[in-house]
Amino acid sequence: MTNDELFAKISAKFPKIDKAAVPVKDYLTVRLATTSDLVPFSQWLKDNAFDMLETVTATDLLGPVDMKGYISQMNFNPFLPEGATPQIVAAATTGYPYKPAIDLLYIFYSVDLRARVFLRLEIAREGVSVPSLVPLFKSADWQERETFDLLGVRFDGHPNLIKILTPDFTVGHPLRKDYVHIKDRFDE
Amino acid sequence: MSNATTQELKTDQLFINLGPQHPSTHGVLRIGLTIEGEVIVKAVPDIGYLHRGTEKLAEVRNYHHCVVLTDRWDYVSAMPNNLVFCLAAEKLMGVKTTPRADALRVIMCEMNRVASHLLFFGTYGIDLGAYTPFLYAFREREMVLDLFEMLCGARLTYNYIRLGGVMVDVSPDWLKRTGEFVEYFKPRLDEYDTLLTYNPIFMARTQEVGIVSAKEAVDWALSGPNLRGSGVDHDVRKSDPYSGYENYQFDVPLGKTGSCWDRYFCRISEMRQSLRIVEQAIAKLPEGPIMASGVAKIPKPAPGEAYAHVEGSRGDLGIYLASDGGISPFRLHVHAPSFINLAMLQEKLVGMKVSDVIALLGSIDIVLGEVDR
Repeated sequence: MTNDELFAKISAKFPKIDKAAVPVKDYLTVRLATTSDLVPFSQWLKDNAFDMLETVTATDLLGPVDMKGYISQMNFNPFLPEGATPQIVAAATTGYPYKPAIDLLYIFYSVDLRARVFLRLEIAREGVSVPSLVPLFKSADWQERETFDLLGVRFDGHPNLIKILTPDFTVGHPLRKDYVHIKDRFDE
Repeated sequence: MSNATTQELKTDQLFINLGPQHPSTHGVLRIGLTIEGEVIVKAVPDIGYLHRGTEKLAEVRNYHHCVVLTDRWDYVSAMPNNLVFCLAAEKLMGVKTTPRADALRVIMCEMNRVASHLLFFGTYGIDLGAYTPFLYAFREREMVLDLFEMLCGARLTYNYIRLGGVMVDVSPDWLKRTGEFVEYFKPRLDEYDTLLTYNPIFMARTQEVGIVSAKEAVDWALSGPNLRGSGVDHDVRKSDPYSGYENYQFDVPLGKTGSCWDRYFCRISEMRQSLRIVEQAIAKLPEGPIMASGVAKIPKPAPGEAYAHVEGSRGDLGIYLASDGGISPFRLHVHAPSFINLAMLQEKLVGMKVSDVIALLGSIDIVLGEVDR
């Protein structure tokens, strides 16, 4: 099944789902309009041979943050000489749609069809939660915990939404662009 | 023992920590086991001891520097890690690699798969109390590592596959020695079968243990030998070929029941297939440049997103890479097979005997560097 056939099948059932403006190269990428579509669409995918949820992850779309104001110790780059000003590496690119939002990414795979569907869903950075897919796909369990831990996305209905990778004393979600590292005992 | 008897003999529950420094956890994994007698009633894997935040580190490094970070995920087989990052970045940059570079990448990844499965073979034997196979496996693994050392100077963190191609070309001497190794190694695999594979004690401890059905395996999104051990025909080299894998003849070994022995046997059979691929790749190694033209010293790919994945030694290793046009990746996400394969442990361990925990854990073949990233 080619990507176009697959997309025709999806849009016949879910007319509101559209192709993503920025596709993941070579793969069918669709974008959900609202979080309420997530569970019905995932259920439909599961019923239509897409029985494997490969990946749950997210991107913080907030633009590059000037770290000067955030880091207490200026010389955080160990390769710079003492006292030198750190270079701000990720220069802001004109035209890139930076915005205060989190872009979720789900990858569904069909073992029989050998096809993948990339699913994007944009949510606000604060105060929003997404329905958990653990009741449908067990593989969502740890990956949703990882996304919660590293990006601070909350998943409603997850049986055990606790930190998984970072230590207990880590404050904040490291993969957010405005994450501030607070010195702990391992920095000395 | 019937249910009624167990009720009568109900003892206090006991909590034990398996790890973080337990020889069979192959790194720093802790499993909090609640046991009742010999039976596990609750298992809570605790990971993150080796979390270095490579996804965050990549956001302040340029693309060439990121290849160095990839070595540190699955340090037992670093070549596929290098490869998958380069494939994703090349997709993003629109670079096309040369046929010779592709063939060299295939040779290195398959040799690394052999080295990685040899480590599994040796340590799995130790986990189950057979010390001898370990010595044999490491004798052969050293030979592969020596070849890699001769090639790129490193034994573990190769950084050999670079954006646009590979680091250095192989010498005729290297190819000759690799061919000799393949010839030497083939009969060794039959020797392993007599040592461990068909050893009655080993079979008794693994064949009825840790059975994962095909449906469960797909539900947990397992990949690699763990998925194929359950009889699901899924191999990225066949379903989504990269680096010219469609030009090589090889089979995908499948298990039948999804037991620990099936997963073990898939890996042993895969080594034979890897040797086949290496032989073919050496026989028809194309001439030409090893590095594509047009890779900038500091690449700045146009804004966009790419996903690349390879059949790593432990399963479907994927990279999601987003660029905002800057010199560093805007977002790098690793679809790490060890991390995802390990997740099923919390459910599969419940109801098993304590002595079988090691059999199941060993058969999943995790590398903690990849679990924690």
